[in-house]
Amino acid sequence: MPRSSLSLSRRGLLASAAGLGVAALAGRSGFAATPTAGGVLRYATLGLDTSDPHRHTGSIAVQQCYVEALTSIAADGSVEPFLAERFTVSPDGRNYRFELRPGVTFHNGDPLTAADVVANIERVKSKVKGGWLASAMKLVDGAAADGPNVVTLSLSKPYAPLLNLFSELWILSPKSDGWAETIKTPIGTGPFTFGTWVPKVKLTAPAYRNYWRSGEPHLSAIEFDLGDGTDKALALRAGDLHVANVERDTVEALVASGKVDIKALKDTAWFSIAFNNRKPRPPFDDPRVRSAIALAVDKAAIMKFVGGAEGVVTNQLVAPGNVYFDQALHDADPFAKPDLAKAKALLAEARVKPEDHTIEFVSWVGPYPQIVVQMVRKLGFKVNHVALDDIGAQKRLGQYDWDMNAMSSGPRADLFLRWVRLMTDGPNPVLWGGIQDAELDRTITAAVEEPDLARRKAIYLDATRRVAEKVYFVVLGHAPDLVAVAKTVQGYEPGFTWACHWASGGVARAALVAA
Amino acid sequence: MRRLLPVVTALAAGLARALAIVAVAFFLCRVMPGDVVDVLGLEGGLTDAQQAELRAALGLDRPVIAQFVDWGAQALGGDFGRSVRFDRPVAEMLVHAAPVTLELALGSFGVGIGLAFGLAIAATSLRSRVLDAVIDALNVWSIAVPTFCAGVVGIIVFSLWLGWLPVIGSLVLPILIIGLDNAGQIVKLVREDLAEAVMLPHVRTARAKGLSPWRIALVHVLPVAAPIALVLSGLVLSGLVAGTLTMEILFGLPGIGSLMLNAVHGRDLPVVLAAVTVVAVALVAINTLVDALHRLIDPRVTR
Repeated sequence: MPRSSLSLSRRGLLASAAGLGVAALAGRSGFAATPTAGGVLRYATLGLDTSDPHRHTGSIAVQQCYVEALTSIAADGSVEPFLAERFTVSPDGRNYRFELRPGVTFHNGDPLTAADVVANIERVKSKVKGGWLASAMKLVDGAAADGPNVVTLSLSKPYAPLLNLFSELWILSPKSDGWAETIKTPIGTGPFTFGTWVPKVKLTAPAYRNYWRSGEPHLSAIEFDLGDGTDKALALRAGDLHVANVERDTVEALVASGKVDIKALKDTAWFSIAFNNRKPRPPFDDPRVRSAIALAVDKAAIMKFVGGAEGVVTNQLVAPGNVYFDQALHDADPFAKPDLAKAKALLAEARVKPEDHTIEFVSWVGPYPQIVVQMVRKLGFKVNHVALDDIGAQKRLGQYDWDMNAMSSGPRADLFLRWVRLMTDGPNPVLWGGIQDAELDRTITAAVEEPDLARRKAIYLDATRRVAEKVYFVVLGHAPDLVAVAKTVQGYEPGFTWACHWASGGVARAALVAA
Repeated sequence: MRRLLPVVTALAAGLARALAIVAVAFFLCRVMPGDVVDVLGLEGGLTDAQQAELRAALGLDRPVIAQFVDWGAQALGGDFGRSVRFDRPVAEMLVHAAPVTLELALGSFGVGIGLAFGLAIAATSLRSRVLDAVIDALNVWSIAVPTFCAGVVGIIVFSLWLGWLPVIGSLVLPILIIGLDNAGQIVKLVREDLAEAVMLPHVRTARAKGLSPWRIALVHVLPVAAPIALVLSGLVLSGLVAGTLTMEILFGLPGIGSLMLNAVHGRDLPVVLAAVTVVAVALVAINTLVDALHRLIDPRVTR
């Protein structure tokens, strides 16, 4: 495998991100000459499950092209202005002021106003159940238009992730069809419009010619392939797709074809093994037994398997290079290397004979959980491994009749979106065993309410130590998701998350050139 | 009436089978872990309480039998309900998907039947060992090479190497691949049936009269083989259900097979049931039609 195109260490990623920033400052990134106008970009990463952007809160990659938000996440993970040209936060972290960008129009021609933004905030607050924004919206005491171009927001208490999370509070025209219930035809401000959507088949998004950023988009349309079964690697090689997420085992053939470049999302997916924390059964409720099992798992081998050269072993929810990463904690990882002798000593100390116990192990269908299972079996435990599809596995995990799992989770707009899953009332906590720990809840809440970054980082590290002490789960490491971009595409570089469009990059800046 | 009664009986039995297929699909869907609320919950981060509320609103907390009866009553009235996941009428989704599957199925059927009968007639008329070898090869191909593998090889050759066809959305390759498979399944039977037919007295008489081999084959032999041709055509059409599913997935064709698979993944029960119902009813219709035609052209069946 040619390593030159895949050298994706954290430093490399940061350097790339910095390079992108410089290029963006210099003009339009990635173009050797004036970008070509026109052409249909064929794009296939994640799907689109609803036409109502406010109701879509998972890992999403499509709707950003037709709806935009007040803020966006830059390639380095920082918050950047988007529909809000400027924003300020009061020192106590409770009051926000957003100054809207002038000259922005919705796809129906109406200008974007502060009243529209307030209407969107109110709609999300009153109509959307659950999701990442729900907890933030509960804290909103008031959202008001201060003139036509300024929105003010007051919170009942500080909420540090707000600006990051606002990158997913999409601003739509209240005239969008279905506004009162479920939006059928979203009218946004993005560089492309919501054209024809056939669920699980495709979305055709024509360019919006009155887009607020002059000269963009370069393309005439994007055709999103939303099908699940397509072999994207073959389609990329045949030239049927221009941009697609790809599995690591297809990279070698793709690179060899000479038709695509392999790039990585700037945030990483993180991999973990977790224990049943809601209804643990003996002896798997004993931290010594959990530690013994973790010591049997060769994290480096697993991460090399799932991430190749880009796999990073660590014990934190963020990878090295992230602002929240702590090197000292990383260096002190007791599970960094497998130690079967120590594991067996811990089991002896806990008076556990592994051959007397069967671990009920749940995972998605895939090869790496099987490797984890084989490693755990080395201790002498019997393992009943149940591998299910996405929904099946998460349903089974929600029954809490299992002992251990091996799971992963993708990029997020803010670290809190990882921590919130570990809270007692957090959304979809099953992947990490449904932790119910009031002390951990208090720590995460304190981090969220801390406006100062350094102090917030310190509190999150306390939370990390709490998880490690209880051995609720063990982080194996991180690996970036890969995106193949055809060489005929210029000006496109994957961002921090799966978003296809953000303030300083994405499909608005992409152009097609002759092969 | 003597001929009609068995057809009506077959139709009733077929409909009963279709109902059984739909019922089995319904209960299998309920045996699968997770439902559409779990999917929506995962995508929207709904809490347990919110999921329970949604489940109650959708009636998913009611007894399974009651849900099936309600759905059946609605379906009989032509209302397949709405996709829970995509909040749009199931009928609308079927209308988008059905033409793709129909085009693929009819195209493959035409290629399969045409190739099988063309080869068999040619081999019979010309008494060609080469053609017999081709028939044997085609037959072995259909037994030994799964259509999925042939599809992948086809993509590599025609899309990647030659660049003649796209990977996504092309109907040409899947039609050819399924057509070849279908032809291979029946060509040997057709050939053997024709070989027996040429030994019949009236065919021998035709030969003695000096008629051309093609005229003998088409006018005197083929009518004798019509019943078996009809039965084999029915088998081919029935077999297309599985064949089109794999090809739709491999070539990214948005037909009923893809729709069904995506609905299963998303636990979108109304869509799964509607798609299964359409397929089951289509199978019943094919079988009944073949049965009726068979009785019409071959009086021995009715006796």
